[in-house]
Amino acid sequence: MNADAAVEVKKEAAAPHQHDLDKIAPSRDERLFLVLSIFIGVLSGLLVVCFRVAIEWIRILTLGSAPHPGQYRLLLAPTLAGLVVAALVQWFFPAARGSGVNQTKAALYIYNGYISFRTVIGKFITAAIAIGSGHSLGPEDPSLQIGAGVASMVARRLRLSRQRLRLFAPIGAAAGLAAAFNAPISAILFVIEEVIGRWSAAVLGSIVLSAISSVVVARWFWGSEAIFRIPQVTLRDPRELTAYAVLGVAGGISALVFSKALGYLRPRLRSLARWTHFFQPALAGLLVGAIGFFGFPQVMGPGYGVMDQAMHGQFAWQLLVALALFKILATTLSFSSGTPGGMFAPTLFIGAMLGAAVGSFEKHYFPHLTGTIGAYALVGMGVLFAGFLRAPLTSVFMVLEVSGNYSIVLPVILANTIAYLLSRSLQPVPIFEVFTRQDGLELPSMEEQREEHELHIEDALRPVHVPILGGSTPIEAVSATLSSANAPALLVQLWDGSWYAMSKDEVAGAAVTLTGDTPIERALKPDRAPMLFPDLPLDNTLHYFPRWPLLPILNRANKSKLEGVVTLEDVLKRYQDL
Amino acid sequence: MAVFELQPPLTAEERLHKRKLIFRDLISLSGLFAITVVLAVLTWFLFNSFARHRQELAQRWLARGQAAMVGGHPEQAVEAFRSALEYDPAQRQTEIKLAMALEAADRVVEATSYFNTLLETEPGNGIINLELARLSARQANKPKAIEYFQRALDGTWQGDGYERRRAVRLELARYLLDQKDYPRARTQLLIAAGNAPDDPAIKMQIAGMMEEAQDPENALAIYRAVARQKPSPVQSFQGAGRVAYSLGRFALAREYLEQAVNHPDFLSEPESVRTPVRQMLADTIDLLALYPESDLEIRERADRILHVARIAQARLQACSASKATSVASLADLAARWQENRATLTPLTLARDPQLEQTIMNLIFDTEKQTAQACGAPTGDDALLLKIAQSSRSVEEK
Repeated sequence: MNADAAVEVKKEAAAPHQHDLDKIAPSRDERLFLVLSIFIGVLSGLLVVCFRVAIEWIRILTLGSAPHPGQYRLLLAPTLAGLVVAALVQWFFPAARGSGVNQTKAALYIYNGYISFRTVIGKFITAAIAIGSGHSLGPEDPSLQIGAGVASMVARRLRLSRQRLRLFAPIGAAAGLAAAFNAPISAILFVIEEVIGRWSAAVLGSIVLSAISSVVVARWFWGSEAIFRIPQVTLRDPRELTAYAVLGVAGGISALVFSKALGYLRPRLRSLARWTHFFQPALAGLLVGAIGFFGFPQVMGPGYGVMDQAMHGQFAWQLLVALALFKILATTLSFSSGTPGGMFAPTLFIGAMLGAAVGSFEKHYFPHLTGTIGAYALVGMGVLFAGFLRAPLTSVFMVLEVSGNYSIVLPVILANTIAYLLSRSLQPVPIFEVFTRQDGLELPSMEEQREEHELHIEDALRPVHVPILGGSTPIEAVSATLSSANAPALLVQLWDGSWYAMSKDEVAGAAVTLTGDTPIERALKPDRAPMLFPDLPLDNTLHYFPRWPLLPILNRANKSKLEGVVTLEDVLKRYQDL
Repeated sequence: MAVFELQPPLTAEERLHKRKLIFRDLISLSGLFAITVVLAVLTWFLFNSFARHRQELAQRWLARGQAAMVGGHPEQAVEAFRSALEYDPAQRQTEIKLAMALEAADRVVEATSYFNTLLETEPGNGIINLELARLSARQANKPKAIEYFQRALDGTWQGDGYERRRAVRLELARYLLDQKDYPRARTQLLIAAGNAPDDPAIKMQIAGMMEEAQDPENALAIYRAVARQKPSPVQSFQGAGRVAYSLGRFALAREYLEQAVNHPDFLSEPESVRTPVRQMLADTIDLLALYPESDLEIRERADRILHVARIAQARLQACSASKATSVASLADLAARWQENRATLTPLTLARDPQLEQTIMNLIFDTEKQTAQACGAPTGDDALLLKIAQSSRSVEEK
């Protein structure tokens, strides 16, 4: 990527400089931004449809139209595909390795939004071969990276500013994920939670536009229920919440097991000699194929069909539990071996199986209490999402968006919160961050970023401890008041409601140059103290201190009323205390 | 406010740059549009080809599943139907077939779970409720089974719902008969009979089940109704004769049994059916030969009464003699015979109809009590006991 990026930098150098562009076409980038967001959405949507069709075709060609235990092709297909994919990744597409989420974050934070065309093509081909031939991985994360890559290419083609170029990666990522998952709101939230890390009004509109455009394209082809059919969702009895709490605990523990397994195996396989990297995906494929060959072909590939069947109550709870466990094993093997493919679908698969298992168990033993099994499977998906991927907001909205039913919000929040807290307390570092550290990168932790406490002016506010005088007060009286109060400054309230913070030296200067009966407002400089309110970020105050000895903090409803004052010492002390 | 800010004028070179920039952006956007269109067309072809292939696969696996079910391989059918659903998921009929295959493969828990899920989306579906009723019956859950049967009856059916509901009702009745819940079975059979079309086969089936439900009167009514039709099946005569015989309506039984035996189809009936019919007819003829029918001449009736009285007395004597100690009931009977000895002449009986009845009652009491004291009789005594057990209905038609 670095070599490609260097070429791009040279091209950029040949183009007009940004300050030239700002002069000759100041609003060009802004205008193009929204138009390109739609283009990116449509292109990502089309590419993701092709990607999924390619995966399905490869699956039918390699595993047959109905894989079942005992077929030797279940062993052969993922093994051979592993060899091919490893060769492609090692020789031609090294950046296609992995899921795609961290690679997109790296593009955003390290490479100024640059994702090469080769990476996009490589990701498309290698992930399609791997997933289609039965590796236990999903297409969502690669779709996210493909979308981000498309966005990066488009933005480069239009020679947008570096700042804009960086913003396009998450826009494309949201489009790719939205098309793959057929859920625009969840995709947007995921990109905000896991890629950008914070709400940014500058990019939100474009993300929404591109995500919706891509979903419209995807739905035009696949219909509204692209991945699985959405079952009826009901909460029949409040006592069901107990079962959902159990699901939350089961999900939290499963997420922990899954994270630990990946955290243990992935670095060990990566640290092996380089030549072994050519065979690791094949060996993983053989082991995953063996799981299928000896009884559980459902764990091969993304497993959407199996999720659909589980949601519609086609399996007994014992089989569902077995499928969840084998999926954890199979995905750990496939992902740790460096095979390109995503973690979304396996996470959803494990969650759906666990949820359906809890639902089926309850349905069998407490039939009068239970809602639909599908509701449990859906909540289970959200639970694993919260526990394993650590995207709590996305996990809740994903279930609500996919089910289209808000009556399930209480079980979702309950189960997801339990899973999230459990997973977080037992595994403090989120899985994407674990991967980042294993790869030797230093990307910002989204979980920490989300929870950063931003200081506000109210955090450094102190009661008014300096004299407050009207603008008509004579200078003589002002000097006397200041001396008697022994304050370093005073506040002057002017006739129009504005404020002026006057230092002791300023008062002294005015007393020397003007007569004692002159109103103090005549001695003031033309500027006025800034209008600051308690809820504004504390760092907003910093650049005012060279000019003002202290800052009056106003009440938003009544600007002539003071909430307090802040001084530079107060602000610095507050930051030091943090 | 930026809107009102004055922009410094562009130099000639900058204006040229700006024009070039606009031109380049237009070219880039046009290129982007062209790429989008080309990609859309390619995607459309790729997707349609794929969608067609999925449909073909769905049809292929559905056909394989059906063939496996017909061939008695439900496990294979389960896999085939699952594959069919993977390629064409929202096919309710395939889903139901899959659930039925699971049931046939003895995967009762999975089948129940699946049917329950299907039921949640379509609570009024007749076939799903029926299958759940069958599964509950297999799991010996009678209340649930009856509930699901009832929901199936009230549910919606594709095709001829009227016929399917009748079949469900008869299946419910059969289940209740197997559970020996005769009163509920009778209720269902009466409703089924009331709604049954004019089809002899169905009526015969209902009548047969009514016999099992210990409702011979209604069974007889249906057999007779069928027997009145032209052409009427031989089974209707056999059934009517058999039920009339069991009800003690021997005159009627003889009538139907004779028609059955003389029916052209009777000889094509299996031997296991023909023999009991013939035996029943022979018994009926012998029995009616002993019975003093009301339409006989007075003298002839008196002779028959005397004849059966002698048979009964002989039975009493033989029974009393077989007992080592005196049995009170037998002694009482002997005393009653002793009292009526003087009246046992044809002339006395011919003159006094009341006496006829008294003697006949004594004969019936003798046969019943000797049967209790000395066991089941044989020969004429056995016939007389049958008459005694249904003395009021022998001649009823």
